[in-house]
Amino acid sequence: MLKTADARVPVTVLTGFLGSGKTTLLNRILTENHGKKIAVIENEFGEVGIDNDLVIGAEEEIFEMNNGCICCTVRGDLIRILGHLMKRRDKFDYIMIETTGMADPGPVAQTFYVDDDMQQKLHLDAIVTLVDAKHIWEHIDDSDEAKEQLAFADVILLNKIDLVSPEDLEKLEARIKSMNSMAKIYRSRDAVVEMDNILNVGGFNLDRALEIDPKFMEPEYPFEWSGIYQLEAGAYEWVMGEGPDPAMGAALLPLANTGLATKEATLMDAVLTFSDDEQEIQAGEAMRLGRGQYNQLMLNENGETVFNFTIQEPGYYTLFTEHHPEEFEAFLRGADCAPEPLEPREYKPDHEHDEEVTSVGITLTGDLQLEKLNGWLSQLLRVHGQDIFRMKGVLSVRGWDERFVFQGVHMLFDGRPDRPWGQDLRHNKMIFIGRNLDRAMLENGFRECLAS
Amino acid sequence: MMQRKRKTKAAQPSLKALWRASIDDHPIGLAWSPDGKTLAVAGVSGPITLFNGADGAVQQQLPGHALDTMAISWHKDSRLLASVGQDGKVRLWHAETGAQRAEMPGGASWVERVAFSPAGDWLVSAAGRKLRLWNSSGQLLREYADAKSTITDIKWRYDGKQFAVSAYNGVVLYDPTEAEALRRFQWQGSTLTLEWSPDGKYIATGDQDSTVHFWITKTGKDLQMWGYETKVLELAWSFNSRYLATGGGTQVVTWDCSGKGPANTRPIMLEGHQHLVKHLKFQRTGLLLASGGNDGMLAIWKVNKQKPALLVDAVFKAPIASLAWSPDDSCIAVADELGALSVAAVRR
Repeated sequence: MLKTADARVPVTVLTGFLGSGKTTLLNRILTENHGKKIAVIENEFGEVGIDNDLVIGAEEEIFEMNNGCICCTVRGDLIRILGHLMKRRDKFDYIMIETTGMADPGPVAQTFYVDDDMQQKLHLDAIVTLVDAKHIWEHIDDSDEAKEQLAFADVILLNKIDLVSPEDLEKLEARIKSMNSMAKIYRSRDAVVEMDNILNVGGFNLDRALEIDPKFMEPEYPFEWSGIYQLEAGAYEWVMGEGPDPAMGAALLPLANTGLATKEATLMDAVLTFSDDEQEIQAGEAMRLGRGQYNQLMLNENGETVFNFTIQEPGYYTLFTEHHPEEFEAFLRGADCAPEPLEPREYKPDHEHDEEVTSVGITLTGDLQLEKLNGWLSQLLRVHGQDIFRMKGVLSVRGWDERFVFQGVHMLFDGRPDRPWGQDLRHNKMIFIGRNLDRAMLENGFRECLAS
Repeated sequence: MMQRKRKTKAAQPSLKALWRASIDDHPIGLAWSPDGKTLAVAGVSGPITLFNGADGAVQQQLPGHALDTMAISWHKDSRLLASVGQDGKVRLWHAETGAQRAEMPGGASWVERVAFSPAGDWLVSAAGRKLRLWNSSGQLLREYADAKSTITDIKWRYDGKQFAVSAYNGVVLYDPTEAEALRRFQWQGSTLTLEWSPDGKYIATGDQDSTVHFWITKTGKDLQMWGYETKVLELAWSFNSRYLATGGGTQVVTWDCSGKGPANTRPIMLEGHQHLVKHLKFQRTGLLLASGGNDGMLAIWKVNKQKPALLVDAVFKAPIASLAWSPDDSCIAVADELGALSVAAVRR
């Protein structure tokens, strides 16, 4: 009775900078006699039926969406338009979505994973990226969009090859392969390409997208990197070279074991630690260890800066850093060893890097009263919603046996019961990330929500 | 003795098929005329069929919209039907003759919503961010300032004197006699649908982020209900404004708004569907709730009993596309995605 996976309509997402030949390719697909019924969703207004096919103009409506623990950006217009197309009796064989030149393919891709109706009736077949073989060099080094479009692609079409020398083309292909070794690369003039090469290639799956960008559907963190070090007791030095900033935030937290649950708990601790008041650590001074110890490492104006710390208890430690250590050529040095980080991990950085953007973490024991919390949050978000980018919390709500897990983006927030507390001590952890946050105001407000 | 007792207790509603028909298309709209005499069914590919509510005889076949019909709405006097579609038009049809009375521009290529006031001579249409107010002659009474994003729903208050519009950033209230919006209930999220409580105290919304909101219209405060499996497109209020039934999953989640309201309460969970619930409708003056699911199942519930009073799973071969109680609550019309239409009397 219900649709099987095979009945789902394949969707191809077409990306590429302005002038790369997307329109030429689309016109070719629509006019070529391939016997397929295709719907094209473009960025321009107006709806036109061309013979058997349909072209729909879409106004890009991007919105951020909270889906359980995942926060992501999706295309609302696509959910609406595709949802309606799927009701038509004369089903389409393919759907093509053209994105604007500067678009990050992420939101379009995520749209297919966060909406049940879409998941049931459509599947994202491939992201096809068109490249202007001559002009891509102007973007490839410093445009995040160009890099993302190449990195996300299942199929890359090097177009306008008649405008470049064979040597340059080889160079370009090698460069692209070094960025995305999994994409199939084709060369074309005037966007002439076999339809089989770009339609129904079965390319996209989320696992693969995650391989390219493991941060694809991850929340944002106040740090960009972490590494686990196995350390013996003794003295260590954290050595940093000159980098893009005069200072860097860091936290060093003990890790009881390398189990997944422990690592995740430590990650949450690190987020809270990064929201604590920072402590400036000058060259030659000792870094502080443990939860709540947020080190602001002040770098010398020139040359190396060395910070030290002593490990009493041998074991695993996780170092969280505000920036990637590579940016500062930073490394850890022991008395007679140079410990290498195990499981180094990169995190998606916060979008905003204003000085006024900070995090505030609050820990409270006791039970919250849901009504008070709702009231407070509604009021808080009505007034400060634009400045509060993110909120996250694990809450102990009176009357609930389960942990209440909560997160928000600006004025949007969502919570659900999680694991039962069982024997664990009931407590509340909450973090706000935003602009011009007032710690005392937030702390007081949160405390007021405790059940009396 | 015991048996007899049990029998009187088990007085359950039953369904008796009155008539069946097929429109051979995905039904996008199913609407009884307010006098209950006509059932209008719009197919997604355009045509609108007007059936005699009593026996299923086809009374009129309206061409609808060349590029897909999106929604229909009856005028309060049952003589006019409004339709909107992807040809960018709002169209008004004489139910009796099938003649088109007016054709109006919706303002954008996809006109997605249309709603006649249950009281005054007002019709509201939404196309993308364009919101327009018409009278039943097809005259434009007002064009509102563009909404901030695509309008997802329009609903009149039960007295027909105000209407609410939802979009990606919450809900906006209008009085049709005023040019400016009365009030905005802002929410940084994608509101997909809304439903007024019959007493006008609440506006419930269903959201893409799997939440339901209760906006208290007087104060502008809102309550958020979390924990849904998926986006919530299904909302239904009971006539006494006590219960709000919501979908967003395989269970029907029903909030009891009596007393201090639904905050801090656990909802009544109605279990029985095998797949997502897609349509919910309460009777107009009774407490029976009908639900239709992607499993092709129709269920009739007595909400306060937390049990399905009746499950019908053999009739429909495809997900339920639409359902509607007749204005006198005596029967229910149900259509599935393949276009099978069934009208059945509900006996108590």
